[in-house]
Amino acid sequence: MQIDILFIFTALIEIFKALPLTMIITLVPLMIGFLIGIGITLIRIRKVKGLYRLANFYVSFIRGTPALMHIMLIYLGLPLLIDKLAGTFQWAFQSTSIPILLFVLMALSLTAGAYMSEIIRAGILAVDQGQLEAAESIGMTNFQAMRRIVFPQAIAVALPNLCNIFIGFLHTSSIAFIVSQKELTGAANIVASNNLKFLEAYIAAALIYWGLTIISEKVTALLEKRATVYNRGGVA
Amino acid sequence: MIQLRNIQKSFGNQLVLKGIDLTVNKGEVVSILGPSGSGKTTLLRCINFLERPNEGEVMVDDFTVNSKQASKKEILTLRKKTAMVFQQYNLFKHKTVMENVMEGLLVVQKSSKETARKLAMEVLAKVGLTEKANAYPVQLSGGQQQRVGIARALALNPEVILLDEPTSALDPELVGEVLEVIKRIADEGITMIIVTHEVSFAKDVSDYIVFMDQGEIIEEGTPTVIFNYPKEERTKRFFKRINREAGILESNLSSVI
Repeated sequence: MQIDILFIFTALIEIFKALPLTMIITLVPLMIGFLIGIGITLIRIRKVKGLYRLANFYVSFIRGTPALMHIMLIYLGLPLLIDKLAGTFQWAFQSTSIPILLFVLMALSLTAGAYMSEIIRAGILAVDQGQLEAAESIGMTNFQAMRRIVFPQAIAVALPNLCNIFIGFLHTSSIAFIVSQKELTGAANIVASNNLKFLEAYIAAALIYWGLTIISEKVTALLEKRATVYNRGGVA
Repeated sequence: MIQLRNIQKSFGNQLVLKGIDLTVNKGEVVSILGPSGSGKTTLLRCINFLERPNEGEVMVDDFTVNSKQASKKEILTLRKKTAMVFQQYNLFKHKTVMENVMEGLLVVQKSSKETARKLAMEVLAKVGLTEKANAYPVQLSGGQQQRVGIARALALNPEVILLDEPTSALDPELVGEVLEVIKRIADEGITMIIVTHEVSFAKDVSDYIVFMDQGEIIEEGTPTVIFNYPKEERTKRFFKRINREAGILESNLSSVI
């Protein structure tokens, strides 16, 4: 077998068209996961009764199982639950009318939430408690103090980790191809089997992932520079 | 006027404040002295409920907060009437000097940006840091950072400023500039309660001295009385030790020179 170098370029262009879907499968879960992460972090830091153990269980379970399982469990399990409920309450609604993409986004949002909560927690704990006290001592509410003083610094600290999780999820989004999503990997698979040139198609897909990763590393470096301006050039 | 009534606080089983009563009149500077572990800092932190007392009442400017019934709103109101200067400065590290001073004005007092900026500039002039307005805390020396801390408190025009060992974290050569700023503010008639180890400074700046040991006020009075005619054995011992340390320091210095 010979490698058709030229076909790699053809495949590259074809596969690249799937980029928007990959971006959706990467970014939407990260954004929702970020919100889940904040909630989980607050519950765990404040040790909210009742919810605290649930939050710990959630983080432990999600981080203890592969993302592929989350997709499978949601994709196979949720429709069962929905149809059961629909039957009980006489809804004129069936799980088959829900696009598969929605299940994927839900599952990966749950995945992201657990990882995000660890990242955000580390960031918040890195900000010294004294600043929170100072903010409260001048009459700010705890919420104001968290939002205006602790959180911005926590995010700056967490930025490298947030970049890592972005790259991680960019790559994880490829498993959505298992449930027939036409994102980069799904598209590569189609291009490959249509032309019977598998290696070329996957090389092309790999190049795209790599390029995206390099770009996000560069962007992070820039962001990091801006976010931590206050920490540099000091004499103390 | 600030009044503390029967303030009690325990951490676990240990009673660190055993019912403190204290009245501070408007414009007065009160220093709290005492050996470490005597509960001075805890008392100060009870005044703005950073530490919630187990028992007792805090009254600031006719507004009374009871430790047992205090609601979140009442605690906020109390804190708006007070300001605190911390041993470790606790400046907002991601904000410039100017923004540190403006923060409370904008968020708590809801001033306009214009008013806040003007007021912040005035206060920074008082602590001698106008040219550092755009610097970040890490770019300042400890003494400068603490002066920003004082400016941040001062800007809010509180009924009382609580200073928690404001010079303890500083290099010896930076202590002077901070004490000087505090002295200048004291002369303006701003009510202050200072926890400090700088005995001679306390003597110099205070209208009233409170001496604490083991969670109790042992002795209180004007500096002249407390320093010249201490009645209690524990107070005498404390001053004797301080004087001896100062003496050792001086003799060391003279031997170096």
